[in-house]
Amino acid sequence: MKWVWLAVTVLTSTAGDLVSAKGMLGHGEMEQFGPRRIVRLLRYIATHPLIVAGILFDALSFLSFLALLSTAELSFAVPATAVSYILKTALSHSYLGERVSTRRWIGAACVAIGVYLIAL
Amino acid sequence: MSPAGHRLRNVVFIALLVVTNTLGNLFVAFGMDAMPQFHPGQLIRYSAAILTNFWFLGGMALLILWMIAQLSMFTWADLSYVLPMTASSYAFTAILGKFFLDERISAARWAGIALISVGVILVAETPSWTHAAPPPEEHT
Repeated sequence: MKWVWLAVTVLTSTAGDLVSAKGMLGHGEMEQFGPRRIVRLLRYIATHPLIVAGILFDALSFLSFLALLSTAELSFAVPATAVSYILKTALSHSYLGERVSTRRWIGAACVAIGVYLIAL
Repeated sequence: MSPAGHRLRNVVFIALLVVTNTLGNLFVAFGMDAMPQFHPGQLIRYSAAILTNFWFLGGMALLILWMIAQLSMFTWADLSYVLPMTASSYAFTAILGKFFLDERISAARWAGIALISVGVILVAETPSWTHAAPPPEEHT
């Protein structure tokens, strides 16, 4: 059962980040952070379907992580979620159209292995 | 915005994301430690306890700020840039734990901290925006 919850946790967390980032691409670059800009940003976040979906995916991911913790040790649960860095980096390229250079790939892999070791 | 302005905005936002995420999680954990054991029969009492729990509320406020700051960063920076850069919060959490909670850092954890640092330095040297077109301007 722990592998099912791990898969659900990783997949919903990945979906959450990817659709949120996709939704924010339509907002336009934030260059100023005055109160009116912030209010408009909050309204954009609260009304954009992809971002609302992203926040719901994040909530699902949190709940399934709690379910994972009830079926597995913390020392399994936290390191295992490090694999999501690899998945998110791969999908940043194919879904969001980012150009992930070799240097960035190596950096992301170092981070994923580092997170795995730190949480072990 | 000048190139120096772009760099400064990245540095400020990465720092903001790391601080709000690390402290937010820490405060929520403190708050949960102080909570009584959960019983479904005492849902109202449990809800009242959590909604008057300063650490929990402060932690949630920081995590909401973290989410908004991260979403705004996505308007000018790649997801594949933001995520590894902010993973330095794992290293900071481990180091904070050593200094404030007297947690021992094992050899594997030190190796993890070192690898995360190498990864962050590598990713920091890549351009934060790699889409073919520049970020669209904000509608005014």
